Amino acid sequence: MLELQSVVADIAGAPVLRGVSLVLPPGGRVALIGRNGAGKTTTLRAVMGLLPLRGGRVMIAGEDATALPAHHRTRLGIGYAPEERRLFGLFSVRQNLLLPAEVLRLPKAEITRRLDAVFTFLPELATLADRRAAGLSGGQGKMVALGRALMVGTRAVLLDEPFQGLAPALALRYAEALRGLHASFPDVALLVTESNPSLLTPLVDQTYVIERGEIAHDGAMASA
Amino acid sequence: MGDWFEQNGALLGLALLDGIASAALIFMVAVGLNLVFGVLRVLNVAHGSLFAIGAYAAASIGLFFTSAGLPAWASLPALLLAAMIVGLVLGPLIERLLLRRIYSEEPVLQLLVTFALFMILEDAQKLVWGVQPVSFSAPVSLMGTVDVPFGADVIPYNTYQVILLPAIAVATLIGLALFLRRTLTGRVILAVTTDREAATAMGIDARKVYLLTFTFGAMLAALGGALSTPTASLVPGIGASTIVLSFAVVATAGLGQIEGAALTALMIGIGRSIAVTFQPELEVVVPYLIMVAVLLVRPQGLFGVVETRRV
Repeated sequence: MLELQSVVADIAGAPVLRGVSLVLPPGGRVALIGRNGAGKTTTLRAVMGLLPLRGGRVMIAGEDATALPAHHRTRLGIGYAPEERRLFGLFSVRQNLLLPAEVLRLPKAEITRRLDAVFTFLPELATLADRRAAGLSGGQGKMVALGRALMVGTRAVLLDEPFQGLAPALALRYAEALRGLHASFPDVALLVTESNPSLLTPLVDQTYVIERGEIAHDGAMASA
Repeated sequence: MGDWFEQNGALLGLALLDGIASAALIFMVAVGLNLVFGVLRVLNVAHGSLFAIGAYAAASIGLFFTSAGLPAWASLPALLLAAMIVGLVLGPLIERLLLRRIYSEEPVLQLLVTFALFMILEDAQKLVWGVQPVSFSAPVSLMGTVDVPFGADVIPYNTYQVILLPAIAVATLIGLALFLRRTLTGRVILAVTTDREAATAMGIDARKVYLLTFTFGAMLAALGGALSTPTASLVPGIGASTIVLSFAVVATAGLGQIEGAALTALMIGIGRSIAVTFQPELEVVVPYLIMVAVLLVRPQGLFGVVETRRV
């Protein structure tokens, strides 16, 4: 579904990714583990086309998407929940969820169907729907960001450090939601980053460990 | 106090009406400046030039309409037409050829580039329209005057400035607020304003939004200029004084504030016209006194919001 081939990228002249390769199979669940500054966020931003690559390729659904403008990537079915939520504070939760689907000009019925699916999967979002995003707590915001990614992520969702800063109870709820993801959205592959591997262990099929911009280790979860 | 009002009531009323009329124009320019800065993050000094060129174009088109023998009422659509043409031609031209190249540059460089553009446009405007005053007041005479009651006095004032200009400004305010909140294009603009990268990741083509917003802002500036034409004598330098006043409004209101810009424009417009009427030597400083007083107490502007917490 998604493949990074020796991706090299700099930020402000400093190398951040030094040849990152990873594969996210269709419907697969992959974790990218690494310390702060290892390149997790940059890897996801590279998938989304949000920074220029100095080398390597990004393949999405079998096609070379390296040169594809960032704003076309949701069209390929990639949903993205950035670190720090990045919701639009002026909008209601519902408007935040709808925005990426509306921007794709999906038919109304399809948008409604997807919104219903998200509300079924994350019932707390239905109760928050009319609240302004700016007024949400950190944990609520993370849920909305996940829901928003699922609105367009028909093939894959990328979650950047979703557990970062969550209170323990909310982290448990979030983990429970992720555990149910495969049952509710069987076609959607999951790529999730985290600095603490123990949170993700039961949730994924495979992990990659990234260190200083390079994949240091990869393997099936059982052997890790 | 009572005596003062008895003697100066009519004068005060006149100052208020002058203030409302000029606030309507300042608002049109400031709201465009604000919108453009919010989306592009470039402080466009040449926004004032678009005001000036809109004003001159309105005079030219209006005078052309008159000489072509069109009926007097056609002078009103002439103003709108001028604003549309200036915005739709210069807006995309400036955004595509110039601004697009400097989005990732330092703010200082951006400021220098738009200031250079301002100078170029100012000279281009002198080249086309000369330095002699140009005027076109047909819409004012067309609409006549209304008697505005103010306390014990009745003040005759021209309908164009006291009814039409505020009505257009209010319509712009309401229309813009509805457009931004109720339409997808409006929400897309707000999304880019809030967080460009997150908006891009949601599938929004930020470049298209930049072009659209800049063109729209240019049209608002040109419309402000065109609407100022019937009651102003157009001379070189109107662009400069307009942009400086608009900066004061935007800074006082707080960035991204549309309703706030309207109230601030009113405050500064009325403050200035009261100064003109009673202490003319203070006219130039009053807008900035208001700005400084507000920013001392609320550095984020009267209506600005402090960045919301992220986590």
